[in-house]
Amino acid sequence: MQYGMIIDLDRCVGCHACTIACKAEWDVPADKGRNWVRRLGPSNTPEGLASTYYPGLCNHCNEPSCVPACPADVIEKTFTDSKTGKTKTMEVAATYKDPFNGTVQIDQDRCLGCGACADACPYGARYVNTDIMNEEIGGEGIADKCTYCMPRVEKGLEPACVQTCLANARIFGDLDDPNSEVAKYVKKGAKGLTSAAVNIGPNGRYYGNKKDMHLLTTTSTPTEMPSASLRRSLMARLKPELRKVKNLGLLGLAGAVLVSGLSEDKKE
Amino acid sequence: MSFKVTRRKFLQTASIAAATLPLAKVVSAETGFVRDPFTPPGSFEGTQTVTGGVCEMCFWRCQLVGKVRDKKLVKLEGNPKSIDNGKSICARGNAGIKLLYDPDRLKFPLKNVGERGKPVWKQISWQEALDECGSKLKAVQEKYGSQGIAMFPHGASAKYPMDFFEKVVGTHNVSEASFFQCRGIRDSAYMATFGVAPGESVDMPNAKAILLIGCHFGENVHVSHVKAYLKGLENGAKLIVVDPRYSASAAKSDIWVQIKPGTDTAFLLAIMNYLVQKDKYDKKFVAAHCVGFEEFKKGISHASLDWAAKICDVPAKQIQEVADLLAANAPNVSIHPGRHVSWHGNDFQRIRAHACLTALLGAIGVKGGFVKAKGVKVKGISWPKVAEGGEEHNLKLMADKYHFAPPGTPTELIRDACITGKPYPIKGCVVWGQNPMQTIPNQQRMVDSLKQMDFVMCVDVMPTDITMYADILLPEACYLERYDYIKTGTQWNFADKHQQYIAPRMPLVDAMFERKDEVFITNEIAKRMGYGDKIPVNSLEEKINKELAGVNLSIAQLKKEDGIHIQDGKDPYGVSEDFEVQLYNEDLEDNDYPAVPTYIPVEEVPKGFTRLVYGRSPVHTFNRSQNNVWLHNAMPVNPVWLNDEIAKKMGLQEGDEVSLVNSEGVKSSSKTVVKVTPGIRKDTVYMAHGYGSRNPMLTVGVNAGVDDQELITKMTIDPETGCNGMRNNFVKLVKDGKTLDIPA
Repeated sequence: MQYGMIIDLDRCVGCHACTIACKAEWDVPADKGRNWVRRLGPSNTPEGLASTYYPGLCNHCNEPSCVPACPADVIEKTFTDSKTGKTKTMEVAATYKDPFNGTVQIDQDRCLGCGACADACPYGARYVNTDIMNEEIGGEGIADKCTYCMPRVEKGLEPACVQTCLANARIFGDLDDPNSEVAKYVKKGAKGLTSAAVNIGPNGRYYGNKKDMHLLTTTSTPTEMPSASLRRSLMARLKPELRKVKNLGLLGLAGAVLVSGLSEDKKE
Repeated sequence: MSFKVTRRKFLQTASIAAATLPLAKVVSAETGFVRDPFTPPGSFEGTQTVTGGVCEMCFWRCQLVGKVRDKKLVKLEGNPKSIDNGKSICARGNAGIKLLYDPDRLKFPLKNVGERGKPVWKQISWQEALDECGSKLKAVQEKYGSQGIAMFPHGASAKYPMDFFEKVVGTHNVSEASFFQCRGIRDSAYMATFGVAPGESVDMPNAKAILLIGCHFGENVHVSHVKAYLKGLENGAKLIVVDPRYSASAAKSDIWVQIKPGTDTAFLLAIMNYLVQKDKYDKKFVAAHCVGFEEFKKGISHASLDWAAKICDVPAKQIQEVADLLAANAPNVSIHPGRHVSWHGNDFQRIRAHACLTALLGAIGVKGGFVKAKGVKVKGISWPKVAEGGEEHNLKLMADKYHFAPPGTPTELIRDACITGKPYPIKGCVVWGQNPMQTIPNQQRMVDSLKQMDFVMCVDVMPTDITMYADILLPEACYLERYDYIKTGTQWNFADKHQQYIAPRMPLVDAMFERKDEVFITNEIAKRMGYGDKIPVNSLEEKINKELAGVNLSIAQLKKEDGIHIQDGKDPYGVSEDFEVQLYNEDLEDNDYPAVPTYIPVEEVPKGFTRLVYGRSPVHTFNRSQNNVWLHNAMPVNPVWLNDEIAKKMGLQEGDEVSLVNSEGVKSSSKTVVKVTPGIRKDTVYMAHGYGSRNPMLTVGVNAGVDDQELITKMTIDPETGCNGMRNNFVKLVKDGKTLDIPA
């Protein structure tokens, strides 16, 4: 099973109901977003004048670059297939790809808020909520992103953005099920935003006419993978220490190096 | 473990004590649901679903449910029982909770101990505030007569006080922005053609072609209306969009007519003349229902395709293509009546042309055409008409002008009287839910009108630019906190089962602080003005219950029915035998207006300037939502659209920060950014309306973007209706303090 989301640009009117419903559902800080709508154009394309939208969200990728970037403690986590009840136990850091439903999730109570995952995402789909922090593990915020509304979906509800979409432009479902609406859209030609350098299997896909798709793909496809930031490499280097010392505040010298690394990072 | 609560977080949750998250893992006793303290709980568990909400983030009034946790409204959703908006609500609807809990909202009655425009606020008791309002308004009435009081109302809550001032106090001087700066022209023009106000009654879901003149759905969002439009497109309707800008709707169109602003009537006349000349009109419908066809035919005979092409600056071939497309799909075509139509001061004639074109195509009462839904009427209960006479003080009659004005008095007649004292002084002002500063053109005239008043009171949920001019400012309960307004209607797609609904607004949460509703405020003022014996109801709850009793319903019953009563409806198609279309209107002739739709040219853009046009942003309603922190962040400024070739000549680039100055020397108080695009004409710039408030009490919205209304100073008045034309102002851009001429 692999959950995925189709955005039908023929239907989308760019109204932002999806982004605001998401804010309400998940208490997202006003200046951040788990999803977004960017207006594109009007611009000239080879297919004629075009104007459309880039409604974006986490792509819950097949090979998510955010997951290996997480420097948090690795734990053993047992996943359960909601359909069959089958379980699987894996070693995961604070963010991981669910082996059964294919979504990428965060254990926010174990998140350090370092932002490495956000830096690693070529789509900019993650942010660090600095309004809250987990002082027990010395974090500087909590990473957050779209969960495909799994807590809602598990209760039989639609994702909040899909429920409120007045255009029925957002279609959610199992891409592995050939009879699902989303799979039918893929058959019709719905495409993920991928390039030669960024080809990590996004499960959010876009469908639209030629000119709109041209405008979307030329303006909104990431063309390079983000390079590992200083923050990320520092965090990764500190990883073994982190396994032993639960409180980052007690790290002493290493912590100081980290902090200076962070402030340098900001200057970049 | 603890939380760092930043100012932003505080602002988001201010005034809601119950908002804090628990600090340890929480297991709900009811559900056994384990909650990670760093993961928000969502709205769907551990909440109570309260039904009966009716939105008023705009006037479309979608039906809502509220998700309430610990007495706090955490989320709004479409009422799943709704046959109107269904489970959907728009961005603004979703953001309603940020209005409800906006820390900048008015909380207590305030008295201005500074001056109008530069207020210094002092919190006072309701007793003192109401005494002041009652005695000051009474004093104006005694000294200057009832006509000495003017009122500027807007929204559902303003109806009850408006009825009080019109019917009981007895003043005609009521100016509703929804009429005089918006849709009044449309309603009057259709009244003068079809005998009915049109609403937005076109059957788009079942149309084969849709013609939009300036309508920009997607940027202009009303849920069931957008649903109807998209259903039409899904069903294969051809879309024609006439707009100087490549709008959200133009981007979905089959034909985009990039018309020169102000010339739409010429475009419509040429289409109609072509249909008549080529025998492509519905002869049967015209013979059966139209009055004055011969006069009409003669009156538009000059409007050749080439004539219009030159005026409208679009190819004659394209006008013909539109005409042929409409004829080929007649009668199943939606000629949209428009909504905000007060553009150029020649608008009544244009809207008459919308209606006449509809009739020529026989597109009335048929699938896809102009079709009025057969809804249910719920009789309102309000103040009795007790004021006698008063016609001798009716400014419209005294001036013998604007014979086709919508109800109320044209705004400029009121402001003229305020400023000149003639024909009589107006010295008392009641502003209820309207923001005339950002709604009515020429802000200086509004300031002058207000400064000379003996007394100004404002009632609103939020501070606005007009509330800065109040002597007494009263905090109102918002639409989520009060009974009010009974929304009625039908299913939006007439291809579906015919149903009617009745949905009274019911509170989802209690009003906080000292906010009060319109019945309380109006009644208390009425008592103090000596009209206590005329009070029709003592509470909104009583009012709604009495109104519902008229259709054998009650609040208790509606609560049982999850907020919406649904009953069988009626087939809306068909046209009655006596339905009459005045292609030529004798009453217009008698009052010396053009009796056949006529193009009246508008002022050309002066050299070095460009025409300023404006429209809607999907995240704002008028100027009312500027301070909503979610909506603000969705689109923090209103970029000024500038043609890419013009931008290149001017050396301007996407994102450059600019202010604007108009041809009368009025400069915008704040700045915005340039959007460079081929999707706008070279002689026109565009920006979304509803930005750039100057009230510092709006900590989020103040000075965000540019207030287009500030730049609309030149007065153009539609002669038939007295409504304001607002697209006859010309601007230059100012960058780094340097005023830049706009090249041709």
